[in-house]
Amino acid sequence: MAAALIGEAPPRSRRRRRWLPWLLLRLGGVVFVLWAVATVTFFAIRLIPGDPAEAILGGPGSQTSAEALAQVRAEYGLDQPLFFQYLHYLGRLLVGDLGRSYALHDSVLNVIAQNLGGTLLLAVVSLIVASLIALALAAWSTRGGRVAASIGSLLEIVAAAVPHFWLAISLILLFSSVLGWLPPVSVPGPVGLVLPVLTLALPLSGFLGQVMRESMLDAMASPFVLSARARGESENDVFWLHALRHAAIPAIGLAGWAFGALISGAVVVETIFARPGLGRSLLSAVQQRDVPLVIGVVIVVALAYMLVTTLTDLADRLVDPRLRVDAR
Amino acid sequence: MKRIITPLIALASIALLVAGCSAASPTSSAPVSGGNLVYATGDAEPTCLDPHVGGNYPQALVATQYLESLVSKNKAGDIIPWLATKWSESKNGLSWDFTLRNDVKFTDGTPLTADAVAANIAHLQDPATGSSTGYLALAKVTGVTAVDQHTARITLSTPDSALLDSLSQPWLAIESPTALKRSQDVNCQSPVGTGPFIVKKWDRQQSITLVRNDDYNSPPADAAHKGKAYLASIEWRFLPDSASRYAALQAGTVDVIDNVQPDTIVAAKSSKNILQIDAPRPGASNRIELNSSIAPFDDERVREAFIRSANVNDAIKSLFFGTAKRSYSALSSVEALGVSEPKLFSYDQKAAAKLLDDAGWTQKDANGYRIKDGKLLELDFPVSTNQSIPAEQSLFEQLQATAKEAGFKVNLQPLDLSSWYTVLGKNQYNLVSAPYTKVGPDVLRILFDSDGTKPAPSGYFANHAQVKDPALDTLLVQAGEVSDPAQRALLYKKAQEIVLGGYYILPLYDQQNHYLLRSQVKGLRAMPTVSTPTLYDTWLQH
Repeated sequence: MAAALIGEAPPRSRRRRRWLPWLLLRLGGVVFVLWAVATVTFFAIRLIPGDPAEAILGGPGSQTSAEALAQVRAEYGLDQPLFFQYLHYLGRLLVGDLGRSYALHDSVLNVIAQNLGGTLLLAVVSLIVASLIALALAAWSTRGGRVAASIGSLLEIVAAAVPHFWLAISLILLFSSVLGWLPPVSVPGPVGLVLPVLTLALPLSGFLGQVMRESMLDAMASPFVLSARARGESENDVFWLHALRHAAIPAIGLAGWAFGALISGAVVVETIFARPGLGRSLLSAVQQRDVPLVIGVVIVVALAYMLVTTLTDLADRLVDPRLRVDAR
Repeated sequence: MKRIITPLIALASIALLVAGCSAASPTSSAPVSGGNLVYATGDAEPTCLDPHVGGNYPQALVATQYLESLVSKNKAGDIIPWLATKWSESKNGLSWDFTLRNDVKFTDGTPLTADAVAANIAHLQDPATGSSTGYLALAKVTGVTAVDQHTARITLSTPDSALLDSLSQPWLAIESPTALKRSQDVNCQSPVGTGPFIVKKWDRQQSITLVRNDDYNSPPADAAHKGKAYLASIEWRFLPDSASRYAALQAGTVDVIDNVQPDTIVAAKSSKNILQIDAPRPGASNRIELNSSIAPFDDERVREAFIRSANVNDAIKSLFFGTAKRSYSALSSVEALGVSEPKLFSYDQKAAAKLLDDAGWTQKDANGYRIKDGKLLELDFPVSTNQSIPAEQSLFEQLQATAKEAGFKVNLQPLDLSSWYTVLGKNQYNLVSAPYTKVGPDVLRILFDSDGTKPAPSGYFANHAQVKDPALDTLLVQAGEVSDPAQRALLYKKAQEIVLGGYYILPLYDQQNHYLLRSQVKGLRAMPTVSTPTLYDTWLQH
């Protein structure tokens, strides 16, 4: 397949020239988005009520003495004009210094490094599980006749509509309180991952399944399937070799979005299952007005998000040759 | 979210009942040494394990396991020896001598001496420490001198009848002076005390690992045993979600949970494997404060009308399922000097209507809300969703409905903690409910002295009812200085009568504090000081 693809592509030099601007544009976009994310977060968290100096001294409403507040304000530069603080922050960001968390008394990089792994593992496993469930559901409901189609679409809608917190509590009640099979809160090892992953994967599989089924149905009704059948290919081959590939394209396009949904779901899931991770860090950081940590987490999530969208673009090109020929 | 969880928990508990809980009949036997206990807290994770820094309840909960104070309290409310064996007040009340135990060492080997006490008081009063609770409690303390190696003299600017109460609190615990010399970040990570356990490891967002102090010899006078603790270690987990916390207790993943909600307490009552400890917090009762500084509550008749219109008892009954007892006092029921006045708070819509008529709120709009001079009888009620549990928030909704019958339009505003403090700081509220935990009746001075209406630099102030009554101020100052117990009790009684009789507050119930534990957990008790659990006497039955 690879040889055939290269054969279709333009000569090497021209191809490189087409890839370079694409790459530069992408990189420029990444830098711009990071700057925008840092700026918006910096000012947004200052707009909501609450004093960062209090966050440093033990949370909102702490009955802190005037001396302590003054000391902290001077120490953290909070007594300077907001715009100056912003420039100062941006300057440090340029050299990769995300600052220190007010509430955790630790460097933001450290906190993120400690928590990123847990969230990534959760997100990646959930994405895989969700894709598998969606694929199985879509394949079954596309090929299983009218009854399967209605049941499939009903299941997808229900799954997609279920809120994470409700699903999490229901799963806990069923699998740990009633059946006693799984621990209700996070424990080390794969057993502790089952319920959090299911909570994230089920709603996502509903969305993915809907999209996959639509495009599978489209593909099964399209001329190339007709011609494949006319060539005498078996129904299985038609489905798995031709229709599936078409169904994958919109699903891959959704992966970037799905990753975003998983990260926001992680906030809920990590809190309910008491799993350490970025989502839980972000939630407590926002509650405590821990400005450096909030911005740090948001930047890392934005970076990951952009990475995923870039990867899905590349994957699209791999799956769909038309995109490669038209590639700018 | 939590409203959906409630019926789910009920459902689960019914399912469990039907399934039939395995009945392990708890038999009392000799304490067993060893084992690891998992404690799951629903309180926020502390930002610093040294309760000198800041000073809130989550810190007190865990610090009770590894730090100790000069004195403690017994169940009857009397001050009892702990790290100090004896104490005496000077004739003029301006200095106190504390005799320390001479055989106690901090877990880093530093001996407990008068200089150590001095270093701790200095640490609490140093602005760089950022202490709030401890700092306020030591407001009258001018310094500490070592009379001899084991006698510390605390000097005061004015006599302080609350000094012993203050020193009994975990926020004023005595830490190793050697350890305090380290940087604050290090000390926050691993504070060093004299307690039965030692902080070994702190995994953020997950747990704190505590191990037994094998050289421990300084339990408070009311402890059940002497010598080292039974438990070999404690895993102190952070489980913020209340439903999963209870599920983890049922599954045996954890042994003790706190912040138990009313519906969970009821569900747990039917389980033989789960026991409950009800330990109301000291200090103020949970109450609704009526802001007397702005209209319409600048008129006492309107305040009384609101209180008469509030059907608190029925609301508590329907929302707390008998787990909370109605309070008619400004103070917690654990405070011996609390005054209760049920008559002032009886539900009476007719009286409410008459009071509002008398106050000039005679017209009504189409919705039945009262109007005076074209102004609607409207009350802003910012609710802190961090501090008010779901049942309490529902209670406010029910009071909103009964107040409507009298013609009040109550605007409930659910807010996160920071926004909530901001609204209070701007004086944009008519009603508010805020907990306040402190040992002893001196909490009245914090909540009702006119000084408490002036915002601190952080915008914080405690006198939310904005009571400014010179007679009350005088009573509270006198009560805070007098050393004769009978006279002190009388002064605090008079002060409370002014607060209750002026309709500044609507008492609801004690500050709820329930623990659930598996029946295998033996010998767990709440400290009579601030009702934090102590695991020193605790052991696990096999």
